Amino acid sequence: MTRLLIKNAYVIDPLNGIRGEVMDIAVKDGWIVESVHDGAEVIDARGCLTLPGGIDSHTHICGTKVNFGRYMMPEDMRAGRTQRRGVMHSTSGYSVPTTYGNSYRYSTMGYTSVLEGAMAPLEARHTHEEFAATPLQDTMANTLFDGNWPVMEAVRDRDVKRAAAIVAWTLAAVKGFAIKLTNPGGSECWGWGKNVKCIHETVPYFEVSPAEIIETLIRANEMLRLPHSVHLHCNNLGVPGNYQCTIGSMDLAPDLNPDRQSLYLTHVQFHAYGGTSWKDICSRAEPVAHAVNRKPQVTIDMGQMMFGKTTTMTADGPMEFNLYRLHHNKWSNHDVELETTSGIIPVYYSKTSVVNCVMWAIGLELALLVASPWQCLLATDNPNGGPFIKYPEIIALLMSRRYREEELRTLAPEALSRITLPSLDRELDWHDIAVMTRAGQARALGIQSIGKGHLAPGAEADIAIYPIRVDETDPSRQFRDVIRAFQKTSWTIKRGRPVARDGEILVEGTNKTVWVKPKVPDQYDMGKDPEFARNFDRYYTVRMSNYPVQELYLQRSLCMESEAQL
Amino acid sequence: MRVILSARPRKNPFIPVEAEGIVPARFLQPAEGITVAVGNRDRPLTDVFEVAIEGTATDAAGVEVVLRGDTSRVKRVGEYMEAGKIRVERDIGMHCGNFMSGGEIEILGNADGWLGREMRGGRILCHGNASHYCGSGYRGEKHGMRGGYLEVKGDAGDFTAEYLAGGEVIIHGNCGDMPGVEMKAGTLTIMGSCSRPCGNMTGGTCTILGTVAGMLPTFRRAGTAMRESGGISLTRFEGDVANRGKGTIFIRDWQYTL
Repeated sequence: MTRLLIKNAYVIDPLNGIRGEVMDIAVKDGWIVESVHDGAEVIDARGCLTLPGGIDSHTHICGTKVNFGRYMMPEDMRAGRTQRRGVMHSTSGYSVPTTYGNSYRYSTMGYTSVLEGAMAPLEARHTHEEFAATPLQDTMANTLFDGNWPVMEAVRDRDVKRAAAIVAWTLAAVKGFAIKLTNPGGSECWGWGKNVKCIHETVPYFEVSPAEIIETLIRANEMLRLPHSVHLHCNNLGVPGNYQCTIGSMDLAPDLNPDRQSLYLTHVQFHAYGGTSWKDICSRAEPVAHAVNRKPQVTIDMGQMMFGKTTTMTADGPMEFNLYRLHHNKWSNHDVELETTSGIIPVYYSKTSVVNCVMWAIGLELALLVASPWQCLLATDNPNGGPFIKYPEIIALLMSRRYREEELRTLAPEALSRITLPSLDRELDWHDIAVMTRAGQARALGIQSIGKGHLAPGAEADIAIYPIRVDETDPSRQFRDVIRAFQKTSWTIKRGRPVARDGEILVEGTNKTVWVKPKVPDQYDMGKDPEFARNFDRYYTVRMSNYPVQELYLQRSLCMESEAQL
Repeated sequence: MRVILSARPRKNPFIPVEAEGIVPARFLQPAEGITVAVGNRDRPLTDVFEVAIEGTATDAAGVEVVLRGDTSRVKRVGEYMEAGKIRVERDIGMHCGNFMSGGEIEILGNADGWLGREMRGGRILCHGNASHYCGSGYRGEKHGMRGGYLEVKGDAGDFTAEYLAGGEVIIHGNCGDMPGVEMKAGTLTIMGSCSRPCGNMTGGTCTILGTVAGMLPTFRRAGTAMRESGGISLTRFEGDVANRGKGTIFIRDWQYTL
């Protein structure tokens, strides 16, 4: 296969402690090796910032709800069309592009692995079919367990092992990667037109609280020894005053794993609001960030909101209904039997809206106030906070106080008294950015072991080469150069092959899907459990034998097996 | 200025041609630069049409485009058109007059689906029949036709004037199923019959002079009215009550069964 030598690269590789060294990287058969013999293809990366391939630890790019977003937004499909060219398929869409659009745009920005933030197990096949058409990234799928009936029954019976066994069977059946809890309990309540406000309310019939669901699944997750932790979208998203609920949810997390966090809180920007209503909403990023600083067992991602047009889509059905009542525009509401819900509405984040300005500031405040970049990762909850193509702007905002001040001057003036961003001097450096966009994600997702997020020999050869001279650029002043560099790599290398060069896609590519299969003792195999099977056939509209996603849906399949301790 | 586009015979006449370049304003510049998509390939307009130009014009309003020959698979003619005139001598393909805001389109034959979709102004006159979604909004769009005048002398298909939000639609023949669904404003007149009109209507006026089959039970009867032209007695309905709608339907004759 291919051999490749990247010469004179200026490398930042946080997982290996490399903070900026000029070195050569040798690649053979898709992996990074010590050296290659002559005859290898040579890429001269002189004067270019070279990082491990980018990893997005929370994005929505594939699956039923994303596709419904495409369906209900013809105006979004008209924006950002490109024609078929060379190996590139035609693409369309801005906030919810076609799968190829997502794949090409991510690749152009140097991203080589992405995690779909919410996959309903029942609809997993659709997600995997779209993964197959996302050729230039390795993909993983968070699997929703927030309103899963068998899990909630196990939680009610305080049977952690049974909960773990159900999770193990389901993850392997639907080829999922990790446990996602979206407004735990709230989605079941939404079936009754209700919601839970915080972690200590109870879900009808099941009589369990979100706190019990979260605690049980954190322990089940560690029993199964899954690579990633529980991935939590807290209750009460987007409601003024919800920051206390967020901190309360963080307090539930015990420190159970020495290698990574035990609880990953996603898009925390939407969960750090103070005030009592939309009229007096203010930022409470500070107490949330301080809570993160006190808890090494917690990792968050920013969920940064960026101004402009986008689509919100989440498994948090009741929250989307509240948004619908604000906007009175299009709304999609969806029920996934026995499992979860979802909702979609289009939004426009405006600088004239005080609420939107506060939201914009909160995301940045979180990233600047959390001391360790390993604990606060960069993401917009694409496309909820803004499409992922805005990441370069977020990087520049974090690296340049001047840029932030420039932006702050354009905001609604009433917003300034409700945020702390103007008083924050911190400017992140290149190393912090490398952590927040790839190394931190690799550690948080637990995929270092399969060679992600670093560049030492043995790592998978996913490399992003950005056209910027780190030694000659002052990001604080030259933030526009930073944006430009992160928008378009000189080279993106995926599995040892150059796949994008200066924004041009070079190869067709094949998707690889990473999934998990915890090995459980025989008595915990839910496939053979009579009660589980009986309830499955009684309540689901599909047969249990038709439920699992066959491996033929995965183009390249990487199964991470683990020995569960039940 | 008159621009006469005569369709050349094609080896496979069923391959659709996407011709959003055929708008009067575009012919103020040389026609050589216009491309159309034949299937998934871009081709110069002159490959598909023989172009003859008579006279000159200084602005788009002075341009008349005439389409001759088999244009039944030519789509998106007159998209975003602002002024001028298009005259189609035979049938026209889908999406004719998408988003048009001014000018006039006259079709002597039949029109395929989505005629005048989301149009904002101008006039469309179709002498033959129009297919489904005439004067409607695209799937997922909240607003259909917002202004202008759309008249069909023949029949129209299903979902005519769906999401109508302004302007006037007149169908001289019959309509298919569910005309005026999700209507918000504007007026829709159907001279013939139709089934299940105006579900979820929130505003606007619809008049149906034929027989309505499958009349929705969510409209409240609110008196009678006399149509000025012809002196026809009509029954007035308000609704859609299920949607707290404030629309009005005038109907001559109806039945609740389909």
